[in-house]
Amino acid sequence: MPQPPAVPERRGNAVVAVLSAWLVPGLGHFYLKRPLRGLAFFALVVASALIGCALEGNLYKVMAGQPLTMLATFASMGMGFLYFLLRYALHYQGNIMGAGYEYGTAFLLTAGLMNLLLVLDVWDIVRGKKE
Amino acid sequence: MLSHFLLMVLYALIVSLFFTLLWRRERKEQIKLFLQVFLGMVGGGLLVAWLMYPFPSGPPAPIP
Repeated sequence: MPQPPAVPERRGNAVVAVLSAWLVPGLGHFYLKRPLRGLAFFALVVASALIGCALEGNLYKVMAGQPLTMLATFASMGMGFLYFLLRYALHYQGNIMGAGYEYGTAFLLTAGLMNLLLVLDVWDIVRGKKE
Repeated sequence: MLSHFLLMVLYALIVSLFFTLLWRRERKEQIKLFLQVFLGMVGGGLLVAWLMYPFPSGPPAPIP
């Protein structure tokens, strides 16, 4: 007798998981009962962002007449609450004259992009496509 | 802290750790992927630096 196709197991609320994963790096994995991985991801994303700030890199914002800054801003905002904390609470500004400006920008962009990948990972887990 | 090499190694370390944790679960596979990504990034960076060595760096670009 043919077996019905296996329904992927759901592991939590997708909206809560994805939003928490974006807002706080690693929180989505924590919500999906993977606390150690969540902690490790949090440490890596925050370390990358802090190194970027220490090097006085650019935390992108949209600039008129420069459409590519929209993409860079989207990537930077991927780091969730850290972006808003740095920009609006701490009034962080990079220093284009700083010796580490280019490296710092790379670290800040990487922090955002890593967290966006974590959001996709959480989505896959919550949909049952990944362990 | 502002050594180009150290910053490159630090960047490679963070990125390779991240992808190792994201893509692999078993310890042996994690170590293998970590070494592949880390050494690939650092070795690739050194290779590109070596290839660029003959070219003059020139004056810094003007700040807009």
